Amino acid sequence: MPSATDVSVELTVNGRSCRREVPARTLLVHFLREQLGLTGTHVGCDTTQCGACTVAMDGVAVKSCTVLAAQAGGHEITTIEGIGDEGKLHPVQHAFWAEHGLQCGYCTPGMVMAVRQIIADNPDPTDADVRRGLAGNICRCTGYQNIVAAALAAAAAMRES
Amino acid sequence: MFPADFRYLRAESLPHALDLLADGEDVKVLAGGQSLLPMMKLRLAVPEAVVDIGGITELAGVSPDGDRVRIGALTTYRALQRDELIAARFPAMTDALAVLADQQVRARGTVGGCVAHGDPAADLPAVLLALDASVTVAARGATRTVALGDFLRGIYATDLATGEIVTEISVGAAPPPGQAYEKFEQSASHLPLAGVCAALSVSDGVITSARVAVTGVAGRVFRSFDTERALAGAPAEPASLEASAALAADGAEPLSDQHATGPFRQHLARVLARRALARALTRATGEVPPR
Repeated sequence: MPSATDVSVELTVNGRSCRREVPARTLLVHFLREQLGLTGTHVGCDTTQCGACTVAMDGVAVKSCTVLAAQAGGHEITTIEGIGDEGKLHPVQHAFWAEHGLQCGYCTPGMVMAVRQIIADNPDPTDADVRRGLAGNICRCTGYQNIVAAALAAAAAMRES
Repeated sequence: MFPADFRYLRAESLPHALDLLADGEDVKVLAGGQSLLPMMKLRLAVPEAVVDIGGITELAGVSPDGDRVRIGALTTYRALQRDELIAARFPAMTDALAVLADQQVRARGTVGGCVAHGDPAADLPAVLLALDASVTVAARGATRTVALGDFLRGIYATDLATGEIVTEISVGAAPPPGQAYEKFEQSASHLPLAGVCAALSVSDGVITSARVAVTGVAGRVFRSFDTERALAGAPAEPASLEASAALAADGAEPLSDQHATGPFRQHLARVLARRALARALTRATGEVPPR
């Protein structure tokens, strides 16, 4: 029995349209994880700071812990599950692997989605551009050095392809 | 962590949004949600209903209109950052947008939301105040326009009345080219512990007018009139900037919290005023001042 605080949310996730009835207070990150089972998008700080929940909304990186599922209704969402192919990583994913841009990996899905945005906005970023671009993503293991190296390597690979 | 239950109402148009707003007792307007949703998650805001105006596309965009440039309330920071008119005429805004929050928040956060939120440590209000911005507010059957300096009242306090929505911010279309914004951020939140915007007009080696606005230091963004008076008519050289910047926080009642004491914030304001004035002067004259 739907309550007055439920909403019907219809959106496209990784190219597939889906519809669910959820409480209005449902955040996009919980919608993705709990309604759709897409647990690659992580909840880190839950306070709009760490960026572990970063997804693309209509092609632009956003923090899915700070978007209501209802706000995403009618929009296209891309999660970490939607950017590579089975057996063939996205160039940013490949660069994180090749450059060892992670240790525990918790922040990595958000990092990858944020780096995709940095490169989309600027195909040839400097070290400083990457560091500024990652202001909204926190990693507590790596000290960022290899994450920045991965971003630069990914940008170089994507310029060549 | 999620907000308390609320009714979600999606507005199809501005009149529809104003009707929805007028119908409820305890209704919040949701634009990009980058300030409101965190507050709701912390239960600092517990509205009974939320009116989502995010889909009202006519409230977004930058458009020149005679001697003003109109910025729709739903224009995101990201859109503002990529707008050619803003980039060409408002370098201080470009300065602020580059250091404001992070790329994900800039993709969703809106100018109208920033102003309506009334955060005393937001970046953009300093720039908008230095550029003499006004705020247009709509209610059912009426609109009004208020100077930003009168609109921002205090900590999360604005002139916005129940039933009203901020629809537009406008700034003069021919601002002085000598403008710059400098900040010192609290590194976790990226909010300024102090931020200063300077806008200078220079003619024949003399500063003919100056507007200097300070954010993050007091309970509301304020103009530093002492600095402005010291600059007006002064020679356009580093010594004038130095002396006037020293007055930037005079008379302010500074905020003091776990991040910074009041005197430290005032100190930052003086230092940042000097830097912002130096960069503004460089932009006004096209010359790098001698050191």
